Amino acid sequence: MSISGLYVGKVKELPILFSELKNLGYKVIGYKVIDNVLRLDSIDSFEELAFDVEDIQSPGRYILSQGGFPRHGPDSPKKFLYPSKLVLFEILSDWNVVVPPSPDSKIALFGIKPCDLSAIKVLDKVLLNVDEYYTALRKNLVVVVENCIEPGGTCFCSTMGTGPRARDSFDIAYTRLCDKLAIEAGSSFGLKLLNLLEVEPIDDATYREFEATMNRSAEKARALFTIDNIPETLELNIESQIYKDITEKCLGCANCNMVCPTCFCFDVIDIPKIDGSAERIRVWDGCLSYTYAQVAGGHFRRDLWARYRHFVLHKFVYWIKQFGTYGCVGCGRCITWCPTGIDLRESIVKIIRGGKK
Amino acid sequence: MSSLPASLIPMKTVIVDIKNETQNVRTYYIKLPDGVEIPKPGQFDMIYIHGVGEVPISVSDIDCEARVVAHTVRFVGSVTKAFSILEKDSLIGFRGPYGIGWPIDLAIGKNLILIAGGIGLPPLRPVIREVARNRAMYKKLFILYGAKTPDDLIYRYEYRDYESIPDTELYITVDNPNNDWKGRVGVVTDLISLINIDPSETLVFICGPEIMMKFAVKELLKRGFKGNKIFLSLERRMKCGVGLCGHCQMGPYFVCRHGPVFPLWFISRYFWVDQI
Repeated sequence: MSISGLYVGKVKELPILFSELKNLGYKVIGYKVIDNVLRLDSIDSFEELAFDVEDIQSPGRYILSQGGFPRHGPDSPKKFLYPSKLVLFEILSDWNVVVPPSPDSKIALFGIKPCDLSAIKVLDKVLLNVDEYYTALRKNLVVVVENCIEPGGTCFCSTMGTGPRARDSFDIAYTRLCDKLAIEAGSSFGLKLLNLLEVEPIDDATYREFEATMNRSAEKARALFTIDNIPETLELNIESQIYKDITEKCLGCANCNMVCPTCFCFDVIDIPKIDGSAERIRVWDGCLSYTYAQVAGGHFRRDLWARYRHFVLHKFVYWIKQFGTYGCVGCGRCITWCPTGIDLRESIVKIIRGGKK
Repeated sequence: MSSLPASLIPMKTVIVDIKNETQNVRTYYIKLPDGVEIPKPGQFDMIYIHGVGEVPISVSDIDCEARVVAHTVRFVGSVTKAFSILEKDSLIGFRGPYGIGWPIDLAIGKNLILIAGGIGLPPLRPVIREVARNRAMYKKLFILYGAKTPDDLIYRYEYRDYESIPDTELYITVDNPNNDWKGRVGVVTDLISLINIDPSETLVFICGPEIMMKFAVKELLKRGFKGNKIFLSLERRMKCGVGLCGHCQMGPYFVCRHGPVFPLWFISRYFWVDQI
């Protein structure tokens, strides 16, 4: 929730926020261009942040072009809050357990989009006060979110109710309106940041511009379905044969799981050391991979269609029963980064139509 | 040390005894670490082998006074195979107990049918022990047990004890007999027809391969048993035991946390769906 109300400021003052976070000792993380892809990474100076670059996304396709509005890449905040590989503890040869200290760094996410902020809210329901690493970082987390004025070709945050405007759980939310900035604070810390800028309460003309921009953006980020009846319809069609058609081109690579900002499943592996100790390491795992539901004596989801069905049903049905929220935020990463371009939005439409074209 | 559920830190403990059951099944009796609550029948523990990995194993016997708990292990995967080199006094890691066990209290004053397939017998053995200990509290006990071959039958040394429990019937069958086998041949679900009992006064606990449980449930429903009287212990891949790693999901349920024992009615929407 906004606690300040909307103000109007200048885009060229954004570096002031960045510098203040740096001065306060935050590790600032934002999108920068690495190997022609937007990657979430540690940012040392404001100039490193991707600003005038656009990620053109469509099913199975991602390219950057100069100019335009950056959204996201394959990384999400999960990369930092819930790393792909984490040493849980080390068991020494005498069975004493050494637990790595909780992370003490203070992270500030700068310029992430509302879909990714929503993904953090989803992860909160799964991991907050459950996972120590996540909880330690989350409690100090600062979020400066950039409202999305130009959703991409695989986005459907409007449908999921997760964007394109951030409504709550941020410290600062800003919207770029050419050189102007519509900006609001969502926490007392955000309020302190806001006070560093030359801002004025938003005037009517700018507010109308802001509203029009957000509305136009929202229209662009819609799938061809409304979400309300999706969980029930999917559950009623749990034995739909459409999953088999959809996964004819699925490779079972689990890219969708890896780029998903909310997928939390993990495997635990042992790394034995020469001195007789062993590390227990948590690594991301995904329900599309062959071994996910495999046990020594059998296999619970041998076929790809069953694994893809689990992915879809978990995000849109089971997650609600488990955690009281959808597991999908409509960021579109699983569509963009699918090597064969399987489109989750299209899958859902096919399933609810029951094969009728 | 972290106290959050996702810390997954095992406690060191010791194997106090090992019993050979079959060529590839052994029972490991381990000392419960201090502070750990006594597992209930149907619960499981995460057992860690140093540098190898961790597996969920059901509790197959419970000695409350000595705080010793048995885990019967079949050597099939990389971790369970590593069990075969463990010896008495070997150290292992322990986390648990986890999950919801058999609803034994509901069986008080009722008949009880236990249906076990293969390595599904160990989680039911503590139930047999409980009925034997407090015999007057329960009505008739039926134990139906099926294995692939006579050589795969576990706990052979105590079948006579089972039969000597008053008001108890034990039926054993094998799929593939050898020349010495004089007992029944066929699948365990065939044994259900041998029981003549009022379904409304009877609880059924089932543990075994999923396909066997599906056939058993179909047979029981045909005979008038209802979904609130049939309880199943499900198996899934489990890496954490606390409902976090995701692997054990059966529909929306984390088998490790919401189960492993479920009443049939609870999971019936998903139980019959192929590869759910």
